[in-house]
Amino acid sequence: MARREKPAEVRINLAAMLDMAFQLLAFFVMTFKPDPVEGQIQLRLPPPEAIAKVRTNQQAGQDTNNTNPVEGVETLIISIYSRPDGGIKSVAVGEGQVGEDSPDKIRALESRLRVILDDKDNPFKQVILQVGSRIRYDELMRVIDVCTRQKLPTGEQLTKLSFVELPEGQGAL
Amino acid sequence: MSGHTDSAEPDLTPILDMVFQLITFFMMVINFKSAALDMTLKLPVIGSAMPVDTKGEEDVLVMNLAPSGRLSVYGQEVDVDKYVSSEAESSRQTANRKGQDIKPGDDLPTIVVIRSDESTAFKDLYKVVKACQDRGFRNFSLKAKRPT
Repeated sequence: MARREKPAEVRINLAAMLDMAFQLLAFFVMTFKPDPVEGQIQLRLPPPEAIAKVRTNQQAGQDTNNTNPVEGVETLIISIYSRPDGGIKSVAVGEGQVGEDSPDKIRALESRLRVILDDKDNPFKQVILQVGSRIRYDELMRVIDVCTRQKLPTGEQLTKLSFVELPEGQGAL
Repeated sequence: MSGHTDSAEPDLTPILDMVFQLITFFMMVINFKSAALDMTLKLPVIGSAMPVDTKGEEDVLVMNLAPSGRLSVYGQEVDVDKYVSSEAESSRQTANRKGQDIKPGDDLPTIVVIRSDESTAFKDLYKVVKACQDRGFRNFSLKAKRPT
């Protein structure tokens, strides 16, 4: 009986595959760019509402018993006035200036906001930031940072803000 | 004298395995979204800036605002009004395809991510924010660096 022949050993040349794999690897290594470590402040920015609005669709003279046709929308207005270099010149909450003599106006603003928002009789429906047109983004973010760290009397975090631009020339208090 | 020499063929299988593992790693961590970021901008450092969390919502609109007030998207300078209008329409159509019923003028679900340089003036930022608000964008995310 004839001896059975051993099957021929099939050897795949892996060198070509390795070359291709190294090329792919080189591509991914060279295009690899890790994400920068960035944070964010999330805001809900509805357009500002009028601080007073007419009561429920009434026409003039329609309701003779109504002596106060204008309904107030509880609004906290924070005004930030700019210096020519884009820094903060002064800050006001409502009509009262904050931290007049303090070098750190942001800290003074934080204390003032805490007092106002801790008061349960202040049911603010909106917060409007009136910002001087020259204020730099970093200064604005410091103010937004302070605002978004506050809690409303309802316990919610304050994230609903509106912006209004104060034109140049109205930047002084 | 014998003319026979041993052939030295290295076994390439382990090195190929390792290279494929490395390729898999780099494929998984590759991030094409970073192309939308203008890395020349210097973001302000804010203590309470939170890490990015889209809560599974990937519909974001990234805008880079240079100190000069120039708005750029994927490295291209764009006109604010035209760009925001087209993105608003696109956002509305995308949301409607997902089963929502958003009509022109309704609030849009897209998050507007604004990456602004720390020295950009408010008037330039406000121009962008106002354009977005006028077209229905309500959710904004202002980028900042976290302190190290």
